[in-house]
Amino acid sequence: MHIKIDHIAKIEGHAGFTADIIGGNVSKARIDVMEGARLLEGILRDRSIFEVSQITSRICGVCPVVHNLTSLKALERALKIEISPETVLLRKLMMMGQILNSHALHLFFFSLSDFFGFTNDLALIEKYPNRAQDALALREFGNKIIEVIGGRSIHPLTPTIGGFLKLPNKAKLAELFNESDKALASAKNLVKLFLSLDYENFSRSAPYASLTHIKDYAFYDGLIKATTKDKINPADFMETIKEHQLQNSVVKQSYYQGKPFMVGAISRLNNNHSQLNPEAKKALKSVKITLPTFNPFHNILGQAIELIHCTEEAQKLLRQTLQKDLQEETRAKRDELIQEKLKAIKNTAMGIDAIEAPRGTLYYFYEINGQGKIINCNIITPTSQNLARLERDLEEYLPQLVAKKTIKKEIEEKIKALIRAYDPCITCATH
Amino acid sequence: MDLGTRFLKLAEHIKIGDFALLEDEPEAPNYDIVFVEGSPITKENIERLKDLRARSKVLVALGACAALGGIAEIKNYQDKNERMHYVYKNVESINNPDIKPLSYYVKVDWEVPGCPINKEEFLKIVKQLLAGVPPTIARRPVCYECQIRQNKCLLQEGLPCLGPLMLAGCGAPCPSSGYPCDGCRGPIPGLDPEKLTKQLLSQKYSQEEVNLILERFGLQDKVYPEAPTKQL
Repeated sequence: MHIKIDHIAKIEGHAGFTADIIGGNVSKARIDVMEGARLLEGILRDRSIFEVSQITSRICGVCPVVHNLTSLKALERALKIEISPETVLLRKLMMMGQILNSHALHLFFFSLSDFFGFTNDLALIEKYPNRAQDALALREFGNKIIEVIGGRSIHPLTPTIGGFLKLPNKAKLAELFNESDKALASAKNLVKLFLSLDYENFSRSAPYASLTHIKDYAFYDGLIKATTKDKINPADFMETIKEHQLQNSVVKQSYYQGKPFMVGAISRLNNNHSQLNPEAKKALKSVKITLPTFNPFHNILGQAIELIHCTEEAQKLLRQTLQKDLQEETRAKRDELIQEKLKAIKNTAMGIDAIEAPRGTLYYFYEINGQGKIINCNIITPTSQNLARLERDLEEYLPQLVAKKTIKKEIEEKIKALIRAYDPCITCATH
Repeated sequence: MDLGTRFLKLAEHIKIGDFALLEDEPEAPNYDIVFVEGSPITKENIERLKDLRARSKVLVALGACAALGGIAEIKNYQDKNERMHYVYKNVESINNPDIKPLSYYVKVDWEVPGCPINKEEFLKIVKQLLAGVPPTIARRPVCYECQIRQNKCLLQEGLPCLGPLMLAGCGAPCPSSGYPCDGCRGPIPGLDPEKLTKQLLSQKYSQEEVNLILERFGLQDKVYPEAPTKQL
């Protein structure tokens, strides 16, 4: 049987799928990426450290915050700049906004239809109008957090090397805090639906990786925990998962110890579930799932649990921020500090850092010179880590499907559902 | 999607022919209005764009990549082959054309400028198109909206802000955040960009630094020499 899906809808970016099944065996399963190469790592070279984080933000319209912040973190590493606890707090809050708006989009608008066989979300919205409202309300709450702190919900403006160009208005933060109870109610309502869904039974053995932190359910900072392994510094991990470009493809794939691995909500849940906030923990308890789970469809469940967790976390962080006395730092002071750090660079300086993006760990590497120019750059996105694993999953999943189902159309729908469960961002993967 | 319930309300008044983020259904045979995002990079992109143009009454360039070229256009001002070899080992399958706005390939009727677009402006333009009213964007510079927001002038503080030349309608979020306007909405036709460049050169900036800013969203080729397509 030859399967060819020209275009997989309801993922971010453009991709198709081809596979050949002969006598119950899959001879090849391939995600065909149809994005153009934007050569981001190339075009950033020779440009200024002050502008690159704004340019990388444009890699993705769904998760610009994480590209912006990871870029800044890697530059701060290269410059050896320490940031204040207040800056960390505000960046973490922006991260919560980012996870909420991205997860709400994927959960309700991309993946939920697969459970009911709808081909158009408008039909889904008709069936679940209140849950649609919850998803939209959470997206709005997330966007508003990013806007209040970042100056704009897409491609935030205020984050800069060492801190913020402008600090958020406290009255607006208080307003967000007041709205957070309502957001939490929306999250719980929406998640209840996802806890009640019937997830495909498909387990396989595969390594998984995410950030982990001693203090919290890690998104902004931490060490990499890769299944059986000890915790690894993100810089060392980025070195080990080296990317390989496939023949005839604009996307690169990554392997860990020679094996394809998975990143994203499911990996975070597996690694860090004991650190979930109380309501998220309650939700997790109410669902029949054994952790660690090796069923990639549970990535959807992981995102749902994270919706509650991140709303609670946003509430917590907002409360902490409101208690702080936020000190405006001047641009002149920032520039002075950066000039001083640049002077200390002998030839070049390197910096690597990572963040948990909605779809998994995002890595940035920069090498900069004393004039503040980018010499070398590398970006490894969650989806370029996941793609190899996703293809392997499809190879293992397909024979199972073929044994159970005979109608090609149904098989194709299941393939698409598994691809969507990964929440791939082909735009990010190509960059 | 960030319009939330207002987007759903809008969806009641239109028939969506193709919107892959919301549906997985066969595409419509032709369109009254088509919004095209992004700038073509692959051969297939260019073919698809031309095909869409042929099947549509009105074609709207949506966002800076479609209207100006966007960040992908930065490579036009560099050695783009060197850039390609830097990123990829196997380059046989990589399309690496110069990046051009949609208007280079097809007739563009209207533009929704910006990176990101302003969702309020988008909604307004959609409504105007549905009502058969030409969707005009007032020819005011970003400075106009920046002053309404009572910001301190970044240009006067010595920062390379392109506000005086660039088309407003965004609400000036950049200068309001302490970030100089870098022209993601494109220049107002008819203004002399040299004046601002001279001003910046007379401050502490080199021509190279000014060029880097103008290249960021693909303004370089638009400012010098031609104006953007159609903005009434």
